[in-house]
Formats: sequence, structure tokens, C-alpha cells
Amino acid sequence: MARTIPVEERLFSLVLALLATEHGLTKHEILSTVTGYAARYATDRDRGSLERQFERDKEELRDLGVPLETFDAQGAVNDTKFQRYRIPADRYQLPDEVRFTPDQYALLGLAAQVWREGSLSQDSRRALTKLRSLGLALDDAIIGMAPTIRTRDAAHEPLTLAIDRGQQVTFRYLKPGRTAPELRRVSPLALVHHEGRWHLQAHDDAADAPRTFLLRRIVGQVSAAGAATRRPAADEPARALAELREIWQRTVAVVRPRPGSEADVVLRNRAETRVIGDSLEIRTTDLDILADELTAFGADVVVVEPASLRDAVDARWQAILERHG
Amino acid sequence: MAKRAPAPKAGDKLTFLLALVPYLIDQVRVSVDEAAAHFGVPPQRVRDAVALITTSGLPGDDGAYSHADLFDIDWTAYEERDVITIIRAPVDEIPRLSSREAAALLAGLQVLAASPSFAARTDAVELMELLGRGASESVSPVAVAPSAPDDLRALLTRALDERLRVRLDYVSTRGERHSREVDPIRLDGLDDVWYLRAWCLLRDSERTFRLDRIAGAELVGPAAEHEAVSVDPEQLFRPAPDDQRVTLRLPVSALPLVADYRGPDDELSVDADSGTATLTLMVGHDGVLGRLVSCAPGAIEIAAPPEARAAVAAWARTALAKESV
Repeated sequence: MARTIPVEERLFSLVLALLATEHGLTKHEILSTVTGYAARYATDRDRGSLERQFERDKEELRDLGVPLETFDAQGAVNDTKFQRYRIPADRYQLPDEVRFTPDQYALLGLAAQVWREGSLSQDSRRALTKLRSLGLALDDAIIGMAPTIRTRDAAHEPLTLAIDRGQQVTFRYLKPGRTAPELRRVSPLALVHHEGRWHLQAHDDAADAPRTFLLRRIVGQVSAAGAATRRPAADEPARALAELREIWQRTVAVVRPRPGSEADVVLRNRAETRVIGDSLEIRTTDLDILADELTAFGADVVVVEPASLRDAVDARWQAILERHG
Repeated sequence: MAKRAPAPKAGDKLTFLLALVPYLIDQVRVSVDEAAAHFGVPPQRVRDAVALITTSGLPGDDGAYSHADLFDIDWTAYEERDVITIIRAPVDEIPRLSSREAAALLAGLQVLAASPSFAARTDAVELMELLGRGASESVSPVAVAPSAPDDLRALLTRALDERLRVRLDYVSTRGERHSREVDPIRLDGLDDVWYLRAWCLLRDSERTFRLDRIAGAELVGPAAEHEAVSVDPEQLFRPAPDDQRVTLRLPVSALPLVADYRGPDDELSVDADSGTATLTLMVGHDGVLGRLVSCAPGAIEIAAPPEARAAVAAWARTALAKESV
């Protein structure tokens, strides 16, 4: 009986076979000769499942940064039977000029430590594994000052994957200030971290307009839904951050905290707070989120303006009172 | 720094194989233990990798093409001295980074660059550019907003670097305000919140202080030596023995919004039909209850104990009453 070939061995064999070929291999050549496919190709009646396996493996390799190319045979455009696959060595290998000094390498090690848990932590770990083949020693440096950012929102990984693959996604979204989530269909464009929160910049395909979503408010599964209608521009994350910054600058509220209270200290320490007499002018990217934040301070804060924010905070205290009355 | 090593996925294992081969070739002779230490993996993973690379899927097994006849190592050195020397290999290229891997390191560098200790590092920009060239596709659109320059963080960083004592004007979550002297141990940023771990001379033990609750800080002279007790940032949220157990009822969709308050020993049950979750967690004092329900006002209900319900109702009533004054 043939032994079971582990996934990584099949993928490793596939990479080597496609790196070694100059003129590319057809799917038939790959499935009938590469370890991990060949035994099943010889015995399986249903080649459909093996072909689907091959499709998934191609995706996995591309996700890992392996430049797997597909090209048409001469005179057989778009005929998958004659399509050939290969990995060009010059696009596979880390360019010679990408080499690091020990100092730079140590900085990369610290950069990887920024991510706690979640998909960015996995990605930076893999990046360091690849860079370790350069042979430089990497100490587990411990610094007195360690910024860490969590990517624990479950939506993070499926969204980065969808952006890389150019896919549209659907998810249910709990809009700030609402109690029931609603279904969204969007083309994801960028993920940016601003004021402690991960935001998705996307084109909302149902509304046909750009929208920003908070990852923490995405409920349940993110599902791939087809080809994205938009692709990220080269400066997409910078633009998304600039837009959040612009919203932050112009969305202003005035509050009066009880002097000396925790609310007073925390709100004064908030980024870019301005002190106006006994009041504080504070900034936010979303008044509904600010309303939640101010609600948490209870009797220690009075909302001066805008009136809509004052009403929103009152309504929240009222709702809490009703749930517990 | 405590690290939880998640079980490697097939992608991690393949990345390791693709990085290990060029490393081994480059090193010429390297022991299993050295290679394992270099990549930060158990020696057994190196042995498994060598076995996979060299002996799996030998021709004749299934009559298939195999990479195994392409690899050869010095078997005597390996079997007798645990030393790996690659004699022949079909691949010696160091793999490029994937879009997401490059993005993870780049965004990590952005976070580092924003902190006072690294502001002087001019090579960070050059390093970012170099990383971009090391990716096989364009870098994934992920970015982190630089946090605003912060006098308090700069002062505490200086205190850490120069081992100075600091006098803090601090307000606790209970709303108690104290002036106290501390000897800083480390600064940890978690998302956008910074924590100072320090030896507190008032309590004569290590304490953690949230930077946004520090109303003022000044340097007061040299710090004393203390026995270091290293604490993982996540340990900061472990419950204290006198915490009370509180049971919440909330829609499943609101669960991520209370993530900051959750601990590893919380009890969670979900009623799939109604989409309602019941969560029992530890709460430090009544002041936290108002904050907890404000994560999703009106959607989160304190179900038990009755005293906690009454405390939240009273808290909301006071907040509403004060507003009309």
C-alpha cells in the first residue's frame, strides 16, 4: 500500500518540479509524476477531486509568496488542457540586493514581535523563517519598551486573504449604535489600524460607494463571494489612514468631566484633546462609538455638544436602566 | 517574552523546508542542534525535514517523479555525528516574502518607528524600501497610523533608559487618586493603550499603571535596584482573588465587544436558536459594571448576581439624573 504523503511534502515536490522545468509542465504531467499526486493519479477513478486538490495547492503556494505562473501553449489560448505551469527562479528567489545588516535584522525581529496572536503574527513568523536562511543570528531581544498590536479579530485573516486574491466578500456587520447586524457585500481594499482599532476600507458593492468598517463589529464568517469590483490602489492604506485622520480632525465633541475624576484624566490624555475652560474638546472617527465610550463614564461626564451626542448618551443610559430595572 | 507556539500548519512546514535548504547549503556543515537553534524549532523538526527532503517518495515506491534523487547529503556525517552537509540539491534559492509577510514586517516597522526609542533610527526607511523589494508581489495593503508624539511616553522612556524614579499622579479604575513614586521596569503597548510596569514604593511591590490614567509625572532622582519579576502583558488582566463573579446575557454578535473584559476561565454558553450568549466573568469592583454594559448599551444585560444588577441600574439612574442638573 502506498504511504500517505503529508501536505507539505506534496507542496515541496510541486515547488521543486515547477522550479526545475524550463518550458513549464502541463497539469497532466504534474498530476501523473509529482509525489503526492502521482499515486492517486494512477489509482483514483475520480480525477476531479485530485484536480481540485491541485487548484487549492496553487492558491496555497501563491498565498505563501511562491510566484506560480500559468501560460497558454502556442495556438491553444485558454485551453486548460494545454496550459503550462512553472515557477520562474528569478521571481522566486529573494533578490541579491535584499540583504540586511545585523542592526537591520535585529530591527526586523522587533518588528515581528509587534504582532500578538492572529494572522499578522503568523505572517511575520513566516517572513522571519524565510529571512533566517540568510544565516544571520537573531537574538530574542527584549527591550524595555514593547509596542504590541493584537490582530485577534476573526475577520482579519479572511479579509487579507480576500484582498490578496482579489475577491469580493460578504459579512454581517453590527453598525455602531444599532443592535442588529446587517449583511454587507464589499470589495475589500485595505486594513488599517487607527486609534486602537482595525478598520477595513472597502467598496460597498451594494451601495456602490466607499465605506469603512470596524473589524470588531463584523459578526461571524467572512465569505468569499466572487471577483472584487475594485482593486486596491498602490497608496490605498495611506489614503485610508488620511481619510480617517481627516474625519478624526473634523468630528469634534465638547464634554465637561467631573474635575479630578478618572473620566477627566482619561479624556485629557486622549490624543489631541483641547482644554477650553472647564470643558474638553475631544475628537473621534465616529460619534456613535464616542457615545459608547462616554456612556461608560456614567455620572462623571456631561456632554455639552453636539446635542445629538448628548441625546445618544442619554438614550444609552436609559436603555441600560430599562434592561436592569 | 513569553511565546505561545501554535501548532505549525502545512504552510509553516513548507516555508520551513524552503528556507532550511538554502541555509544548509550556505552553512556547508551544520549540526542538527545548531540548525534547530537558528530557526527556533525543536531538533526533531530539523530531523523530520532532512528525512522528508532526502528519503521520502523514492523512485519505485509509486513509479513517480521524485525530488528525492535530486538531493544528497553526507550520510556518514549525519548518522555518526548529527552533522548535515548537503552534497547535491536542486534548489539553493532563498524564497521571497509573500505580500502579507512583507506587509506584516513593514507595518511592524511603522509601529516601532512611531515610538520614541526608535525615532532616531534613520535606517528604518531604507529597511522598509528593502523589504518591499523582497516581496514576490506588491505588499498587502496593511498600515498602522502613527500615534501622536506623547510627552508622557517620552518622559517614561527616558526614566527607563536612565534608570530614574518617577512621581506619578495616578487615578485608579475605582476613581481613587494618589501621588506615588515608582521605579519603571518596562513599558508595554497593547493596541493603543500603554501600560507602565513599575516598582511602586507606596505598595512596595510591582504594579501596573495605564498611561491614560496618569494625570501627571515628574522625574525625582535615581531609581533603586529591585528584583525583576517579568510579566507577560496579557498577565496584566488576570483576575484578583477578591473579584466577583458576574453573569451577562448578550447577543452573540456583541461578544467581540466585551473581549477586553474576558479571561481564560470565563464560562460561556450560547443558545444558537435565539443567538443569545450567557457569559460569566470576573469583575474587580462595581465601577467596572457600568463600563461593561456600555460596550453595547442596551444589548448587554447583567443577569446575576442581583446586587450587580441593582448597582448598574443605580449607576445609570445617577448618570441620567446628573445630566438634568
